[in-house]
Amino acid sequence: MDVFGSFALLLAFVCAAYAFAGGIFAITTRHPLLIKSARQAGIATCGLIFIGAASLEYLFFTDNFSAAYVVQHSNRDLPPFYKVAALWSGQEGSLLFWSFILSIYVLSVLLVYRNKNGELMPYVGVVLAGVQLFFLTLNNFVSSPFKALAVAGTGFVARGDGNGLTPLLQYPEMVIHPPNLYSGYTGFTIPFAFALAALLAKYPGEKWIHLTRKWTMIAWCFQSMGILLGAHWAYAVLGWGGYWGWDPVENASLLPWLTGTAFLHSVMMQEKRGMMKVWNVWLVFCTFFLCILGTFLTRSGVVSSVHAFTQSNTANWFVGFLALALGVCLAAYFKNRDYLKSENQLDSIVSRESSFLFNNLILLVSCVAVLSGTLFPVLSEWVTGNKISVGAPFFTKVNVPLGLLLLFLTGVGPLLAWRKTSAESLRRNFGWPALCGLAAGVIAFPLGFREMFSLICLMLCVFVAMTVILEFYRGARVIRSRSGAGFASSAVELTMRNTRRYGGYIVHMGMVLVFIGLSGAAFNRDVQKEMPLGATMDIGQFKLVMQGMDARPEKNYTAERAIVEVLRGGKPVMMLYPEKRRFVTNQENGTMVAIHSTLKEDLYVVYAGQENGTPVIHAFLNPLVKWIWLGGIVVVMGTLVALLPNRRSVLVLTAEAARAKATKPALAPQNAVLREGHD
Amino acid sequence: MTKVRRILAATGLLAVACVPAVIFPVSAQQPNDRAHQIGAKLKCMCGGCDQSAGGCYHTGGAFSGPCDTAKGMLREIGARLNQGQSEQQILQAFEQQFGTEVFIEPPKSGFSLVAWIMPFAYLAAGTLLVVFVISRWSKRSLRQATAAAGGPAVSPEYLARARAEAERETDD
Repeated sequence: MDVFGSFALLLAFVCAAYAFAGGIFAITTRHPLLIKSARQAGIATCGLIFIGAASLEYLFFTDNFSAAYVVQHSNRDLPPFYKVAALWSGQEGSLLFWSFILSIYVLSVLLVYRNKNGELMPYVGVVLAGVQLFFLTLNNFVSSPFKALAVAGTGFVARGDGNGLTPLLQYPEMVIHPPNLYSGYTGFTIPFAFALAALLAKYPGEKWIHLTRKWTMIAWCFQSMGILLGAHWAYAVLGWGGYWGWDPVENASLLPWLTGTAFLHSVMMQEKRGMMKVWNVWLVFCTFFLCILGTFLTRSGVVSSVHAFTQSNTANWFVGFLALALGVCLAAYFKNRDYLKSENQLDSIVSRESSFLFNNLILLVSCVAVLSGTLFPVLSEWVTGNKISVGAPFFTKVNVPLGLLLLFLTGVGPLLAWRKTSAESLRRNFGWPALCGLAAGVIAFPLGFREMFSLICLMLCVFVAMTVILEFYRGARVIRSRSGAGFASSAVELTMRNTRRYGGYIVHMGMVLVFIGLSGAAFNRDVQKEMPLGATMDIGQFKLVMQGMDARPEKNYTAERAIVEVLRGGKPVMMLYPEKRRFVTNQENGTMVAIHSTLKEDLYVVYAGQENGTPVIHAFLNPLVKWIWLGGIVVVMGTLVALLPNRRSVLVLTAEAARAKATKPALAPQNAVLREGHD
Repeated sequence: MTKVRRILAATGLLAVACVPAVIFPVSAQQPNDRAHQIGAKLKCMCGGCDQSAGGCYHTGGAFSGPCDTAKGMLREIGARLNQGQSEQQILQAFEQQFGTEVFIEPPKSGFSLVAWIMPFAYLAAGTLLVVFVISRWSKRSLRQATAAAGGPAVSPEYLARARAEAERETDD
């Protein structure tokens, strides 16, 4: 099967090369059969990559320990669930996984648009094939996952068992977090391909924007989910009480998310006003470059990270590809930049256009600040010879004010009118939300919410939430007055009539919940203590009592478990079982945190190990963390709503109304009932 | 909607809005001991993690807490505190021992200052650029409006385009 998989990848490389070269030839000759054959080659490439990925999974499930990659990342006792995750646990497999996810997108695009956009699709096919060709080069010639296990002096051999999967990856979220993140990273290839293709083909109008909007939203949604799932994994597994450490690899995942978010906002200016064409094209390009840069940072060893793969020979390839892609984009831009001339101008600084400009500014500044902070240790060493560390406190100090500015714009932007907003409209739209925000601050301050940024964050969260709630309320009120339906069903109807707008508001509401959760971080507390049997620890309103230890042997590891009773006000609340796991094959350790999570706070208990033969418990009290995960769910729901087609309201006349219309046309609409339909 | 109902609705909304603040009666943050506070400003120099000495948790180790290096650094900070050294003196001692890399965040002096200035320089430059772009676009818009006012009558095609544009703009 390893030969089969290897051969499938080699064939995929040949097909991708044909799709790329044949596609360019087809564009120059405009020969329909050539165009068709290039597209078919693109489809075949995807199919062959699927076979390659399936072959590697087959090697894992059949415990084929003659393959080096399987030996390194699996063992016989590894649960099947994690044998799926073993595919992307190492350098070689993760690159194949990248190709695999990209192929799903490419295949979808090639099939969905096979009979549409005939002028544009050959260009799109070439760009996509070019990206696939790069990753297939890595899969085949630089970092193949199908290498046979070789032992010095004895040639190729098969081992009895493998080294096992890294303990940190043996957690359910690790089976869904990387696929989500990779789907985000690779998904941004689609808008990149359409933007570059439109520029190369001088494709008229904003069609490429319309074509790629949903693809961008899908990629953005996956990236958001990937980031949040990663944060949750870090929170639940690493045992340090936090969810975001500003590690270079975490930062790498945030960078394209920031530019992607900027693009999703600024693209509206191009759709509505024909503005920002150059900006949008470069935002898409930069988002793609940042995806590649993130992959480079993860694999190059340029910056140290707890997440990074072993330093490998792929780093130079990524730099080369990045340079080539940048060169192509620059050449296409300078050759065809007249095509990107804006149609409209701005009428007032108090307008939605301005708010989008400032929104983009904050997102971009945050992106550049995170990027420059991540790379600063390298820069400082290069300039001064001394390495200067840039840790989490720096990123927090820089990004918190930027995040608050962005949160403010999240509330302001959607309520400003296009072109110009009157003072009366400002007062009507922002009066109540501003008042509620201030009131929340006045209430929260005496209750102890006295950390400045957290207090401002809370006030802004209330302000933004109110703007969103009022938008729904006003719209639903109008529908209710016309249809007589209940308020909730009117709100649903309102949302379904303009899914993009109201889905966007739901996403904003999700972000508000995330920010509420983040504002709690300033009030985290922790206590670490040696806890012999019967010892107690006080944290907040909880008292923890050590009730004992036990060992739980599992197939793949042995868990050493602390049994901790939680009391509140002297009354038992629950038992918590934080674990320390010792994995058999690789003799590595893992942590399983026990969390009692409520909307108010998380009681987060870690069994750290033993010191002087005594168990050590590290307990954290982290306020409002659950709001972050709830916010993530709301963000995803909002994005899904925004992806739905708009429901159209159709006036259907009752028989009586129809008769009335025949005699008195002007009275008819009063008796009309609304019927739903879809675009 | 009557005034009373409006006030009731607003009060209800306000009550919902204040849920996070009300359900979370915050007490002041528990101060960690002094050594941990200073340790939080220093990087754990074990080479295996990028955490601070005060917050080291050393993932994957036999002990999920400060590694031996971090513990050693915390002990040294404690010893220096007992000797009556100030925070500044302790930080300087670590800098002499490990170089500038020992600080978890760049010091606000020398070349490190660049790291702090850069984000705010981006923000300032970006804001200036956005304001410049907006004012330039607004002026151009005004010029076009003035020119149009004294120009020929609006053609039906232009009107149709304007209507289509207005429809798009009010759609979202």
